[in-house]
Amino acid sequence: MANLSIPAIRERLFNTSKHEVSTQRNSSNPFAASSFKGNVLTADVFESSKKADQPSFTGKLKASALVGSISGIGEKFHNIIESAIAFGNRMKENVVNGWNKLNEMEISFAPAKEKAISIYNSVKDTLGTSITDLVSSGISSKSIAKMEDMSMARQIMSDNVAAWEAAV
Amino acid sequence: MVDKKIVKDVTNIIEGLGMNENPESISILEDVGTNSKVDAIREMTSRALVRKNVHDSLKVVITNKGKGINDMSTVVAMSTINELLSLNDKSEAMKILEDTVEMHSDEEVRDNARSVKALMALS
Repeated sequence: MANLSIPAIRERLFNTSKHEVSTQRNSSNPFAASSFKGNVLTADVFESSKKADQPSFTGKLKASALVGSISGIGEKFHNIIESAIAFGNRMKENVVNGWNKLNEMEISFAPAKEKAISIYNSVKDTLGTSITDLVSSGISSKSIAKMEDMSMARQIMSDNVAAWEAAV
Repeated sequence: MVDKKIVKDVTNIIEGLGMNENPESISILEDVGTNSKVDAIREMTSRALVRKNVHDSLKVVITNKGKGINDMSTVVAMSTINELLSLNDKSEAMKILEDTVEMHSDEEVRDNARSVKALMALS
């Protein structure tokens, strides 16, 4: 506990050399000895000693880093421009390749279309009827097979056979 | 030229009646199908009756003059015989053929039944 009596404070203020040796120096300030002679401020008013681990860019160090970064700006800027140009070229190549592929696909659709038509026609020839006719069928064999009203079945059979015979 | 839809509908009706288990379906096929003037309808009807593989349906195509194996159209008769030869269980058809050969009044029907019976015995 510090002695805070008036005579003690007066002596500390005006006889600094006496107390300088025993004063604890916690400050990281390099100018502390010359400016305050290390005996006025016990607390670290510049930077905490706990932050000493982190890099500090103050004073000459900061200035040096700034100068170094300025000297590297030209090269870095050049690199950025180069990479941007390369990126642009790659994009251009990709776009051109994509366009060519699209054109190739457009051409390759033609035989596929012909093949599809060929399959459609072969199915039509095999079945003797078109797929559209098959899909839009009116009477299914299953419905007749499950029919319980046989008078209706007879009527349907008679009507359709008569229609066929009339067409011959 | 016959409309394809009519052909398809008649085909489905005959197939459906062939699958229908109601005994009335046999009489419909016999009355309407086997008496049609269109060879294709008689052919489809005869095959449907054979595929049923029951006594009444087989009797229609074996014992009746002008129907099934006795049809005036060679195509219809041969198609019916071919369907009979394709049956997995030929026992009922053989039984009717034997009875027809022995007891039918018409000689032509008896001769046809005898020929078909011989073919089925070989198959």
